[in-house]
Amino acid sequence: MTHSLHREGTIDSLERDYALFIYPARGFNYKGCAPKVRRLVEIVYQVGPVNMIATTLRRNMYSGVRPEEVLDSIKEGIRVFSVFNSREKIKEVLKRFKAADEGISIVVSGLIDRVREIALEIGLDPHTINISLGVHGDTGRLPPPDIRQFTTMCGHGMVSPILVRDVIRRVNRGKISPWEASLVLAKPCACGIYNPHRSAELLESLTPLYTVARR
Amino acid sequence: MIIYKEVCVGCGRCQPYCPTGAISFEDMKSVVDQDVCYECGNCLRVAICPVEAIHESPQVYQYPRALRKYFSDPCATHAVTGIEGRGTEESKTNDVTERCGPGAVGVAIEVGRPTLGMGLEDIQRITRALARSGITEIEPQNPIHSMIADPDSEDLKAEMLKERVLRAIIELQITRARLADVLRTIKTVAAEVDSVFTLDVFTMLDPGLTIPQEVLDIIAAEGFTWQPNAKINMGLGRATDREIQ
Repeated sequence: MTHSLHREGTIDSLERDYALFIYPARGFNYKGCAPKVRRLVEIVYQVGPVNMIATTLRRNMYSGVRPEEVLDSIKEGIRVFSVFNSREKIKEVLKRFKAADEGISIVVSGLIDRVREIALEIGLDPHTINISLGVHGDTGRLPPPDIRQFTTMCGHGMVSPILVRDVIRRVNRGKISPWEASLVLAKPCACGIYNPHRSAELLESLTPLYTVARR
Repeated sequence: MIIYKEVCVGCGRCQPYCPTGAISFEDMKSVVDQDVCYECGNCLRVAICPVEAIHESPQVYQYPRALRKYFSDPCATHAVTGIEGRGTEESKTNDVTERCGPGAVGVAIEVGRPTLGMGLEDIQRITRALARSGITEIEPQNPIHSMIADPDSEDLKAEMLKERVLRAIIELQITRARLADVLRTIKTVAAEVDSVFTLDVFTMLDPGLTIPQEVLDIIAAEGFTWQPNAKINMGLGRATDREIQ
C-alpha cells in the first residue's frame, strides 16, 4: 500500500508535501459509499491537488485523464489518493471534509507537527497514527538519500532510481526543464501521490551539484 | 515481462523505467532478465515503447511466479486479500474498524522497500526470527499469513522461496506490552536480511494528536527513532453498513 509515511527529505521540503487518502472500509461503510466519495473528490478538485488518482482508473493527473472521467468512474469500494503542496490547501480540504461529514476514513500523510496544528485549528481529533521507524537491513545497497527523496514519493516504488538519474542528466544537459523532468518521474506513479511541484524544486536545487552516470 | 526481440528497435527508452534495472541491451536490443524482473509491469504501463515490443510474460500468472506480480504490480489485485496492494487497510480505516484498539499496536515490516526488491527468503528470515521469539501474531488478512507452511516455525511454503518480489509486508497486531520484544527481534534479524525493510508502528492516538508516551518510550528504549512525518487517520470515518451495526 501507499508508503507515504516513509517519504524522505528535509523538513523544509516536506513542508510542501501532504498526501491525502479517501478510504472506505470494507464491510463497514462500503455500501452506498460512491456518492459520498464523489462529493469528497469534488472537494479535492475544488481545492486543487497537485496529483490524484482513483483506484478505478489508476491513471494519475498527468496521464491526461479528465476530472469528468474520474468522477464518472466512482463506484462502491473506490479509494482515492491525492497530494497537496501547501499547508493552506491541506487545511482547506480537511475543513471542507469536516463540514461535509460523509463518514469516510480520511488519512493525511505529512509532518506530524503541521498536521497536529491543522487538526487543532479546525477542530479535528485524529484517531490513529502510523509512524515510520526508518529503513533497516543492508542499507548500503540503497541509492543515496538525494535520489531517495524522489523515489519515495511514489507509494509503490514505481519511480526507478535509474530514471531519476536519467532525468537529472537530461536536466543538466539542458534537454528538459525541471518541471518536464518531474512529469516524466510522475508518470509511472500508479498511486497518484508523486508530488511534481516538490520534485521540480528538488531538481532545481540538486541538478547543479550532480554529475551522474546512467547507472 | 518480456520484450519481443524481433519487434524491439533497440532505442533503450524502456530501460530507465525498470525499478530494479532488469532491462539491458543484448545484441543491440533491450532484453529483460527474467530472474531479476519482478513483473511489476511498469515498463508496459508507462507506454514508452514506440513499437509495442513489451508484453506480459506468458508464464506471469503461473504459480509460484505469479507471486511476483501480486506483490510487485500496484495495479494487480492480490489473490488472497482481494485488494490492490500488498498489505491490508491497517491504520487507514482504523477509525471505523478499530482493528487496532486501545492498548494494542500494529507493526508493519515492509521488506524490499524502498525500491530495492528482495527474495522471499528474506521474509522467511524475519518470520522465523519472530517465531523463535514467540511472536506469531501475523495479521490473518495479510497475504504473508497464507504463505506460511508451518505455523510453529513460520517457515514459508518451500516452492515460494526462490521467487523475488518488489516488496511484501509482514503485519503484526500485538499488545503494547509485546512491542519491546518485537522491536528487539527485528533489530537482531536486520543483520541477516539481504535486502532492506522499512519499519513502522501504528497506534491509536491520545486526544490532540498525541502519540501515547508509553509507545514512544518503548521505541526509544529499543534504540529506534521515529521520522518527523507520519500517516495520520483524521478520525472522520464511521461504520454505516447495517450488518455491522
